[in-house]
Amino acid sequence: MQPNKTRILVASLVLGCAQLALAADPPAQERDRTYAKVCGFCHDKGVGPAILGRELPVAYIENVVRHGFRAMPSFRSTEIDNAALASVARWVSQSPATSAASASATAPASPAAPATKAQ
Amino acid sequence: MTTTPRNVLPKGVSASDFEQALTQIRAIVGAEYVVAEDTALAPYNKIMMAVPDEQHAPSAAVMPDSVEQIQAIMKVLNQHRIPVYPISTGKNLGYGSAAPVERGQLVMDLRRMNRILDVDAELCTALVEPGVTYQQLYDYLQEKKLPLWFSCPAPSVIAGPLGNMVDRGVGYTPYGEHFLFSSGMEVVLADGEVLRTGMGSMPGSNTWQVFKWGYGPTLDGIFTQSNYGIVTKMGMWLMPAPPDYRPFLIQYPEDTDITKIVDALRPLRIAMVIPNAVVIAHTLWEAPCTKVNRADYHPGPGAISDEAVQKIRKDHNLGAWNVYAALYGTPETNAANWKIIEQVAAATGGTLITDSTEQGGRATQYRFDLMKGKPNLGEFDLYNWRGGGGSMWFAPVSQAKGSETLKQMRMAKDILAKYGFDYVGEFIVGWRDMHHVIDLLYDRSDAEQMKKAHACFDELLQSFAREGYGVYRANTAFAEKVAATYGPVKRDVERRLKRALDPNNIIAPGRCGISI
Repeated sequence: MQPNKTRILVASLVLGCAQLALAADPPAQERDRTYAKVCGFCHDKGVGPAILGRELPVAYIENVVRHGFRAMPSFRSTEIDNAALASVARWVSQSPATSAASASATAPASPAAPATKAQ
Repeated sequence: MTTTPRNVLPKGVSASDFEQALTQIRAIVGAEYVVAEDTALAPYNKIMMAVPDEQHAPSAAVMPDSVEQIQAIMKVLNQHRIPVYPISTGKNLGYGSAAPVERGQLVMDLRRMNRILDVDAELCTALVEPGVTYQQLYDYLQEKKLPLWFSCPAPSVIAGPLGNMVDRGVGYTPYGEHFLFSSGMEVVLADGEVLRTGMGSMPGSNTWQVFKWGYGPTLDGIFTQSNYGIVTKMGMWLMPAPPDYRPFLIQYPEDTDITKIVDALRPLRIAMVIPNAVVIAHTLWEAPCTKVNRADYHPGPGAISDEAVQKIRKDHNLGAWNVYAALYGTPETNAANWKIIEQVAAATGGTLITDSTEQGGRATQYRFDLMKGKPNLGEFDLYNWRGGGGSMWFAPVSQAKGSETLKQMRMAKDILAKYGFDYVGEFIVGWRDMHHVIDLLYDRSDAEQMKKAHACFDELLQSFAREGYGVYRANTAFAEKVAATYGPVKRDVERRLKRALDPNNIIAPGRCGISI
């Protein structure tokens, strides 16, 4: 395999702006970036409970993200800034029920499901 | 800025001094990047350890975005003698997460410093900041179409290479011993001086990321699992994507099979026929990640029975031990080495599985992804086993010898069962050692289980130490006790270094048991 000859020097600002980019409003049909890059790795894979299509309240989602919930880790503003959190919470809250999401939502609650008591 | 009295202050610091320091720090980083209210600090205090949250509550958090800001902050902290706890991605879950080692320490959150500063595609190296996550690095390499792989630990999507290396974490590719595959650090010392290790010390050098040692003592090691400085940059080696990748799983039916597995695989690992960190996962590590529901097999309290574990194996086609490894090379070299793998599997009575989707399950899929450095969070399924968000890794080091591994497994299983906990363990094969990683899973919302988990961890630690087995890493609540198992001379040297490098004892005092 011929290695790429280009030496890549990344302008330091490019990735520093990643947090800001997260805040951008996605088009209605498009997957929220924070959801795609963080939440979905558990909540779309059956590791955490499905959260799409359940009309979960925005304030509830924001609270769980910042405090964590049982096995779910908390996320700081340096990871998901306030604008990105508001965006993903709104997107999750308003997401339509898909067949996959509603199937897992009605599956027996795992011990990590938010129906169980809070810490 | 707030007028409400503070609940949490750094040890020995008055409220007015602390306020004054925060005002100075706000002037350095901007007011929005300093938080000191309970609500805003909540994410820094979510822990999985079996101690009350309050024991690890931060007094405040500061989020600098540059080395210069960190240098300026260190001046303020020295002036007021305020202890600071630096974190990178803060996702060292089960080892302490983003919470400080001691109550009241000011968290320095470096997650905003998330620049991938350099990727050299010819030399296969990278230079990254503390806030870079594995997922970010993965996306970067994909976008640039660079055929380069890295090794990552299980929480790879949200964790990052610098913090993991500094804690001497491990992963699953041939570059799995992460500190071994780092090259060069930049460190802000307590007095604000900036040290670049190895070749990085030399003005104009371009070999920082390719030659680790430099001239004179190699200092990198003292900045891992320690509190002698704040690591702000790390060089790491990347692996050329192999033309042919062949992951596999070998399942074994009996607990006692671990002896022949280890003795058969060790020569292949040492000779690098198998170049990656082989994982030997027990049934109860595979079961949660295969979506087995514990309550279906053990509805009552206490540890799961051996009979129930047998039934899980049968019902879900899991081995007592499940060996994950891979071949990395050209189709020709892998074809040749594959014959050896087949022979070893046949000779030891293992069942060889190569297709993750056909024969293996979801556990196999996330393992096959991890062995090529593809980030995922599949292993978080472990947390559903008991539920309740309690997890502490007990991770003693073992020789890569079969008799040793079986002895450790039995010791751990007996102690865990005594407190009502299951043996959820795996061995990660280094070159000559094994990291015996056990997840002590418990329900953190159950006060009784919290108490038992704490006592259980303590007994595991002391019992293993009596047999001469030390852990490679530990959660912050047990830092002092773990450090004590390594004897007094090492600790004395560490304290002397601390006095020399950080005379005001401001960087994470208590981290790994090091303090003045």
